[in-house]
Amino acid sequence: MTEPKDRASAPSGFAVIPQLWLSHSFSRMRLERGKAGYCHPAVLSLVLALGGLLWLWAINPLLITWLYPGSTLPSLASSVPSALAILAGAGLLYWVLKACNVAMHRTQCAQHQQLAEFIAYSPDPAFLKDQQGRYLAVNAAFAQLAGRPAIECLNQDDSALFSPEAVALFIDHDQRVIADGTASNREITLAIHGDTHVLLTTRWPYRDTEGCSIGVCGIAQEITAQKQAENQVYSANTNMESRIRERTAALQSINEDLERQIAARIQAEVALRDSQERFRQLAEHIREVFWVYGVEEERPLYISPAYEEIWGHPIDGLLERPMTWIEAIHPDDRARVQAAHITKCGSGYFDEEYRIIRPDGTIRWIWDRGFPVCDEAGRIYRIAGLAEDITRRKLAEDQLRRQQVELTRISRLSLAVELAANLAHQLNQPLAAIVAYTQACLTLLRQADTDPRVLTGTLDEIVNQGLRAGEIIRHLRELVQKHPAAQAALDLNALIRSVVRYAQTELNQAGVSLKLSLADPLPAALADDIQIQLVLLSLIRNAIESMGEQADGPHELTVSTAMADPGSVWVTVRDTGPGFRLDMEDDLFRPFFTTKPGGMGLGLSVGRSIIESQGGQLWATLNLDGGAAFHFSLPAYPDA
Amino acid sequence: MPDRATVFLIDDDQAVRDAIRLLLETSGFTVQAFASAIDFLNMAVIGQPGCLVLDVRMPGLSGLDLQKRLRAQGYRIPIIFITGHGDVPMAIRAMKAGAFDFIEKPFQGQTLLARIEEALAADGQERCRQTQRADAAARLALLSPREREVLERVADGQYNKVIAAELNISLSTVEIHRKRVMEKLQAESLTDLIRLLALLQAD
Repeated sequence: MTEPKDRASAPSGFAVIPQLWLSHSFSRMRLERGKAGYCHPAVLSLVLALGGLLWLWAINPLLITWLYPGSTLPSLASSVPSALAILAGAGLLYWVLKACNVAMHRTQCAQHQQLAEFIAYSPDPAFLKDQQGRYLAVNAAFAQLAGRPAIECLNQDDSALFSPEAVALFIDHDQRVIADGTASNREITLAIHGDTHVLLTTRWPYRDTEGCSIGVCGIAQEITAQKQAENQVYSANTNMESRIRERTAALQSINEDLERQIAARIQAEVALRDSQERFRQLAEHIREVFWVYGVEEERPLYISPAYEEIWGHPIDGLLERPMTWIEAIHPDDRARVQAAHITKCGSGYFDEEYRIIRPDGTIRWIWDRGFPVCDEAGRIYRIAGLAEDITRRKLAEDQLRRQQVELTRISRLSLAVELAANLAHQLNQPLAAIVAYTQACLTLLRQADTDPRVLTGTLDEIVNQGLRAGEIIRHLRELVQKHPAAQAALDLNALIRSVVRYAQTELNQAGVSLKLSLADPLPAALADDIQIQLVLLSLIRNAIESMGEQADGPHELTVSTAMADPGSVWVTVRDTGPGFRLDMEDDLFRPFFTTKPGGMGLGLSVGRSIIESQGGQLWATLNLDGGAAFHFSLPAYPDA
Repeated sequence: MPDRATVFLIDDDQAVRDAIRLLLETSGFTVQAFASAIDFLNMAVIGQPGCLVLDVRMPGLSGLDLQKRLRAQGYRIPIIFITGHGDVPMAIRAMKAGAFDFIEKPFQGQTLLARIEEALAADGQERCRQTQRADAAARLALLSPREREVLERVADGQYNKVIAAELNISLSTVEIHRKRVMEKLQAESLTDLIRLLALLQAD
């Protein structure tokens, strides 16, 4: 705190108070305010004395002379006592007024003194402003707040001391106080010299002894620290709350985690129980025999119940006497299986098919597989396996094999039957002609007057028909003998030509025109020629018959060959018949399926079997312009 | 023999056709041969008395097709099928459709000749019956409705008295109607009358 320099110049009548700076105008405040209706006692007394004397010596004689003419005027001497009385009265008035003035001044001074003391001793910044906003009194705390020596603050207004924002706030506050005439509190945040200060300021109007407002007093309490503390408490509180929330959330998630883990554990337990149960159910109910063999124990440890059904022996018997298993095996397979069993104990792997003989004498086929079960050291200590009854499958395989053999046999046989039937049909024509001609000749010869020479032409015809029959037989022999070897290189074009020639009669009779569209050159196919001939003939017959079903429209048969890709050769038989319904496409190749009233329905299914047995495929499509097309592919003959 | 019926022979095999034709002609039949069913239909010979000797399998219209078409048009000409390879289902179909016979090639000349003879006789009889039937139908058409009613009841064997009561006419009227029916139908006796009716109903 700097020592105020103008303490010595403090207005007279004020005790010297440390930490208080007063403006000289402070003591004049009352006087300035009183100037308007105020008259000095001496002037007043003098005016009264002069007025009395003037009345006595001038105005009064004139009035008497004017009102009462002729009367004599009192002498000057006689009026001296009156004049003395007037002067005494005036002197008395002066004395009284002077005394009053001094008393009033004292009261005002006392008020000023109290205020000054209050300002001086207030630890908080305090001040007094006049109505123009100039600071008349400030204390040291105020000076510190203003940031300059107190003396420099005096007679300055706010705009000289504080920042414009603060000035606006202060002026507004002052105006409010003056307008309301009462004290007012405000919390003001100020930025002073870079620091933020929060002040709780109280301002009130300063009044003179007669209650007239002559200025504004104020005191400001610095509550910055308090505010900061409040804020700190608030933020600490917020911080705390948020940490509590975080912690609660963390606890909650840990809790949920725990619950989940518990649920998972329960689930795992249930699953384990279920899986054990499922294993039991599976092992007990599957049709295969599930077995576990103990390597060290050298005997089966577990056999599932299906064993009793397949083997026809009780499980207990097998567990007691492991040899029962070997004994049940068909003698032809026993040695092989026993050898495999010995290997099994070493490698852990086992895969054998064998037959068993059941107690009732029936034979079953078994497919038995085993896999090693290792301990932690990687040593095989158990072998687990499945034994399956594959009797049905074996029978089916046997049947399939037999069927294939049968199919080959049938296809050869049916070709023979086919040839025989065709031969019979074709031979019947010349034979019928020969018989009829001969009988006609006989009839003529029996007539008595017949000249035998007329028979020459008829007999020539008979010879021709005999030759025709011979020609037919020769053709057929050619057809059969041309490609004698099975699965040989086959010239499909030549084969098609010979089959078509063979079927020519049928084509003619059905009024079907034939078109050959043969690729040339065409790689040789690898196939059995007789079987392919049969398939082709069957396809041509099908086409003829299907076209015979419709009376009108073109009756045209096209047989074409093509090389589909380097590996295979295609043959297509296309007709202009009614075709087939798309949904029947698969049915076409089923045995005994036929759309023809008199058909047996074996043709296409046998045909497909034949082609597939030769490594090719047979399929059907519909033509865009009506009718069906049957295609088959055959593997090309590999070039030497 | 101009009034003799004709054997119509249809076979697509020229040799067979020639041979059979020769066989039939030497045996005294009148033969017309055709290479196809269509040719036969085009020659407009159907309706003539005779019989058909027909190959089953022929290009275009087959023997069975021709049979079906003729029957559909009301022709009853007897048909003898001959076939190069007779299969049973085909024979059954032909016979069911009213074929006269079904003969496999090669055949005994005598067999064919005998069957043709029978077929022609059957055709003659059929034609005769048809003529009679047409005649009878024509005569029946002459009857008035009342006479027809009386005829029906007479044919049923009812007495005149019952007929009179049923038709609500006098006995003498019935007798007059009956007499007129006999005249119109040219029947000399009740037996004649019944035979005539039976002929008509047989159709």
